[in-house]
Amino acid sequence: MSNRRFSNEATIEVKKSKNTVLQRNRDPKLGLKVTLGFIIALIFILPIIWMLFVSIKPNGFSTTEPFEWFLPPYTFYNYVDIMFGSLIFRWLFNSLFVAVITTILTLIITSLAAFAISQMKFRFKNFIFIFFLLGLMIPGEATIIPLYEVAKSFGLIDTYAGLILPMIASPLGVIILKSFFDNVPKEVVESAIIDGCSYFKLFYKIVLPLAKPALSAIGIFTFIGSWNNFLWPYLSVLSETLYTLPVGLPVFNATYSQAYVQPMTANAIASIPVIIAFLIFEKQIVKGISFTGIKG
Amino acid sequence: MKKQWIQDFRAIPFLLPFFIAYMIFTIFPIFKGLEMSLYDWTLVRKIEFVGLENYTKMFTDRHFWRTLWNTTFFVILTTPTMVLLALGLALLSNLNTKFKTFFRSSFFIPSILSVSVISFLMIFMLQPYNGLVNNIIQMIGIDAEPKWMADQGLAWVTIVVVTLWWTVGFNMILFLAGLQDIPHSLYEASEIDGASRWDMFKYITLPQLIPIGRVILLLQVLASYKVFAQILLITGGGPGGATRPLIQYIYEVGFNQNNLGYAATMSYALFFILLILSIIQLKSQRSGEN
Repeated sequence: MSNRRFSNEATIEVKKSKNTVLQRNRDPKLGLKVTLGFIIALIFILPIIWMLFVSIKPNGFSTTEPFEWFLPPYTFYNYVDIMFGSLIFRWLFNSLFVAVITTILTLIITSLAAFAISQMKFRFKNFIFIFFLLGLMIPGEATIIPLYEVAKSFGLIDTYAGLILPMIASPLGVIILKSFFDNVPKEVVESAIIDGCSYFKLFYKIVLPLAKPALSAIGIFTFIGSWNNFLWPYLSVLSETLYTLPVGLPVFNATYSQAYVQPMTANAIASIPVIIAFLIFEKQIVKGISFTGIKG
Repeated sequence: MKKQWIQDFRAIPFLLPFFIAYMIFTIFPIFKGLEMSLYDWTLVRKIEFVGLENYTKMFTDRHFWRTLWNTTFFVILTTPTMVLLALGLALLSNLNTKFKTFFRSSFFIPSILSVSVISFLMIFMLQPYNGLVNNIIQMIGIDAEPKWMADQGLAWVTIVVVTLWWTVGFNMILFLAGLQDIPHSLYEASEIDGASRWDMFKYITLPQLIPIGRVILLLQVLASYKVFAQILLITGGGPGGATRPLIQYIYEVGFNQNNLGYAATMSYALFFILLILSIIQLKSQRSGEN
């Protein structure tokens, strides 16, 4: 109790001294900088806000007066129309399905491999780890033509499996998880083994829960990467019913060159789920970027 | 000896799933690509062995050199602007105000949108005559009707600005993490010594950001060499092939001209460029850690 009071007083004192430092060292141009920040921030989100406003305008609306885009009348009919009258809903499902399965499979196989390399003893371990590391230097874009042939010979062209399986072996995931698993205290692992705990139990009961921050960072990035992946679905999927949103949207939008409302509604439908997800997970995403960016 | 064998055996189920996926979809295509580059190979099947013919063709193919130059030009245009913009936005998001989260979120949010969404947003906003951008330009009194996608110079401006807007958020957050890692004591010490804000920026902030800046620079070069989707969707590589990147040309040769063998050959050229760049990146990161 007395301890707590003491620490409270200490923080108050720190706050006070910080304030005086700030006052003495106040940035004279702070107001100017904040204004500049506001202008740039508005420019950055203006296209997205415009998209959302256009998507609730009546069908066929167009104007040359910039402000009129943002004024009523509004309607949500376009959303109903496009969800039920086009394949957008199907593509939304495909994108979600592919992204979720890709993320789950990536997390499973990379954490299993990283666990073996971090915690188990076997021959050629270093060799295998370096061999996996080499994958970091192989750019997927440059091997995509032969990948198409490989996928074709496995019968993966124009299938869900073909969209998912080539994307799951992430060397970066193995590296990040290995460095995380390396930090699990040796005593914890050793006492578990002495207690007769199997490696698999050790993996999913003890080591995996400790690596939650790394797993969520890798999970979020795998998901965003898959959700936005363009080149591989563009090459490997032929039937419209298997399109993901990034491949389907251009096809849909290309049929409207002058009408604004339907294409912007389709774009909004594709964006609203990720915008909501971003606002919910913003902290983890920001942390994850600094984490993977600096390590990788 | 026997015990070692048991240990090896135990590791196999953990390693195998990743190993199989990695071998089939990452390693094997490299060798498959080598084979394809030595053949006349169509979308349906391989036709015949042609030796190094595809390679000699590549070195004299002016479309190859043109699209490789376009990609390099894109790298030259975007890399410095990206690093400076990312640094500027990170500094704004690091200001001591209650709007810092709003700034950071606004700068980052375009990055989470799909390339198809941002491309079509831009196509519609940049249309001449009734696009929002031209209408705003005219509203503030400038009597002009820029053709953002049809004029060669403006097409490059469009692609670079759209790419910056779309992807700068990621780099900004890396800089922001770097800024927040700078020990506060450095600023306090310099304040006692009577340093001005500009001195602090020049002698503390910038030097402390050099390691992360180097990572961002190299990641940016690597990423820019892979440019494809936003150019394909916004300008289609036009006007007249002026903005067509190498990956688009590889795609067209393979899938429109039905020549996967030659497409694989040019992929190899891209592969080596990117390989050299990523070796430089890993090397400099290693030296940065030491």
